[in-house]
Amino acid sequence: MAASLLEIRNLAVRFTTGDGPVYAVNDLDLEVRRGEVLGMVGESGSGKSQTWLAIMGLLAKNGRAEGSVRLGGEEILNLPQRALTRLRGERMAMIFQDPMTAMNPFLTVGRQMTEVLEWHRGMSRREARARCIGALESVHITDAARRLSMYPHEFSGGMRQRVMIATALLTEPQLLICDEPTTALDVTVQAQILALLDELRQRFGTAIVLVTHDLGVIAQLADRVIVMYAGRQVEQAEVHTLYGAYRHPYTEGLLRSVPRLDQPRSARLATIPGRPPDLARRPAGCPFEPRCAYASEICRRQMPPLVSLGDAHLRACHYDGALGPQERGA
Amino acid sequence: MSEPALLEVRALDVHFSVRGPGLLPSRLTLRAVDQVSFDVRAGEVLGVVGESGCGKSTLSRALLKLIPATGGSVRLRGVELTTLPKAAMRPLRRSMQMIFQDPLASLDPRMTVGEIIAEPMKALLPAMGRVEREQRVLRTMQQVGLLPAQINRYPHEFSGGQAQRIGIARALVVEPQLVICDEPVSALDVSIKSQIINLLLDLRAEHGLTYIFVAHDLATVRHIADRVMVLYLGRVMEITDRDALYARPLHPYTRLLLSAVPIPDPALARRRRVAPAREELPSPLALPSGCAFRTRCPLADARCVAERPVLREIDGRYVACHHAEAAAA
Ligand SMILES: Nc1ncnc2c1ncn2[C@@H]1O[C@H](COP(=O)(O)OP(=O)(O)OP(=O)(O)O)[C@@H](O)[C@H]1O
Ligand SMILES: Nc1ncnc2c1ncn2[C@@H]1O[C@H](COP(=O)(O)OP(=O)(O)OP(=O)(O)O)[C@@H](O)[C@H]1O
Ligand code: SF4
Ligand code: SF4
Ligand SMILES: [Mg+2]
Ligand SMILES: [Mg+2]
Repeated sequence: MAASLLEIRNLAVRFTTGDGPVYAVNDLDLEVRRGEVLGMVGESGSGKSQTWLAIMGLLAKNGRAEGSVRLGGEEILNLPQRALTRLRGERMAMIFQDPMTAMNPFLTVGRQMTEVLEWHRGMSRREARARCIGALESVHITDAARRLSMYPHEFSGGMRQRVMIATALLTEPQLLICDEPTTALDVTVQAQILALLDELRQRFGTAIVLVTHDLGVIAQLADRVIVMYAGRQVEQAEVHTLYGAYRHPYTEGLLRSVPRLDQPRSARLATIPGRPPDLARRPAGCPFEPRCAYASEICRRQMPPLVSLGDAHLRACHYDGALGPQERGA
Repeated sequence: MSEPALLEVRALDVHFSVRGPGLLPSRLTLRAVDQVSFDVRAGEVLGVVGESGCGKSTLSRALLKLIPATGGSVRLRGVELTTLPKAAMRPLRRSMQMIFQDPLASLDPRMTVGEIIAEPMKALLPAMGRVEREQRVLRTMQQVGLLPAQINRYPHEFSGGQAQRIGIARALVVEPQLVICDEPVSALDVSIKSQIINLLLDLRAEHGLTYIFVAHDLATVRHIADRVMVLYLGRVMEITDRDALYARPLHPYTRLLLSAVPIPDPALARRRRVAPAREELPSPLALPSGCAFRTRCPLADARCVAERPVLREIDGRYVACHHAEAAAA
């Protein structure tokens, strides 16, 4: 087993809002190993982005993180801004979910990219420019030299996403966090970006965190997968185990909702019935209980702890029987 | 072809003038949308797919006049929109709504979710009372999977997928006839995505809504679309009924797209993993002569270099390719 690069213990992220606190991430324990691709999937609003933003020291002003996060053994959670800025330039980088809001609309793309290298690597403007052109080409942006003098709004959604990927790669980080890196990309460019990420981890041992709703992307690239629901980790397994032998009812609902091209088209898409959880409340029991077909009395009263099923397979659920459509009765 | 189309688009061009490199930069023309023609029938879902940067968002915005077309015509129920003065466009705004691709960036950060969703009703349905407006906001929030308790929160307090649903609610709340959806579900988890797709299809069944549905996820498009238009570098490559397109794509580019779709099964996905071709991608600033796809096409020959293929009918499908018959055979 490869050495762990990042260790997260008991991470909690909480926001203060006009309507009271929002518990976005709770009791999160996990690690990321060198050279691995760790996939993270889950409900929209389940705390995936906030987990990584907290680690990067980029939470919104009304957010607070608690717990411990160690990068190569060194505590990094809630470091002072100066130290964080250095870490972000040198050891970890993040590709954000919303590229437009992460870029400066008043600076050309070239300026935003070269700045990173001038600042963190002490390169001359000229040297930096040449590197940036190469980086844009590696994410398949054509006419890279000309594109450097364009502004973010002059790029398409997918191109902005690729610019962010190229920018994140400039400093060759040890840990690369990708939050929905391919959502705006079509399948051919997506395949190229995934190949690029795979190459990074193989050549440089970069650890990659891949947050995405695309279960096809996870299936292709991830080694291990974390499933999140309502700010909690509900299952963690090696990728083949997760798709083939998942043990959490939410994971089942997720996998059954995926429309697939290699299967016949159905009249209506499967969904998980019921409402999304309200993170302003902290239920005593399992947060999935109101929507779960396997729920029983204990689920309402007691939060299921995350326990190991062996073989690095963890899950948080009280139900011990078999999952699957045949057991569902209806 | 009995019923007239709801929307008729003919030879639409959207060209941008961009700065060239160098100290005294010259202006270059970027053909984001190039001679695009298609119809949208009332009550149908037209899927639009194609590579990142091929002009899908630009086309969507031009249809709504959010950016000016540089040529061609767009007619809504026979009314020419490209030359319509602003004042005359206003009443039509209610019938055409758009869901934007970049969810957070398209929401006003100073307004609460409730205000954002209510705003199009204030502007377009001024006669509506406050109580009814509020009820509609709440109902629509629920339909798209937002919690009514979140009505007073601000956009930056939401996750990416929640912000996308705010955009969907804002577009649907005025009960438009045509909704242009630009990657409407890309940031949603699969269950909510399915829920939104089911909602869009229910609204169509109940109110006869029509959709233009831009997406890069071909499995989702197969689910929702009746017909699919494939764009490449601002040009139409193929327009075909859904089942025919997925069963037997005629255009070489459509075939490439379908072959690259990730499969949500690790064993299959890894077995199939092919090294993606590192072919030279052409730029919209310097389109190849002849067929725009020829630099990547396995069937390309001298004719493809010399002559731009026109969109023509083959077996009831529309394909722009000199050698489409080779695939049809
Ligand atoms: N600044 C904030 N103030 C209050 N609540 C917030 C804030 N930012 C995020 N949240 C809430 O925290 C929760 C977790 O958000 P997060 O962005 O991590 O979700 P996510 O899992 O990344 O979802 P998605 O898949 O939709 O991107 C959400 O329910 C969101 O509403
Ligand atoms: N305001 C603008 N000025 C200059 N060029 C632009 C402008 N808007 C878009 N473009 C260019 O037009 C082309 C098409 O962009 P568009 O956003 O329509 O692509 P898209 O198909 O929506 O891509 P994606 O799937 O990545 O969202 C791109 O090459 C883009 O750089
Ligand atoms: S603990 Fe109970 S409610 Fe929660 S997922 Fe398991 S069976 Fe369902
Ligand atoms: S016209 Fe020629 S280059 Fe273009 S798609 Fe057809 S065969 Fe390929
Ligand atoms: Mg997110
Ligand atoms: Mg777009």
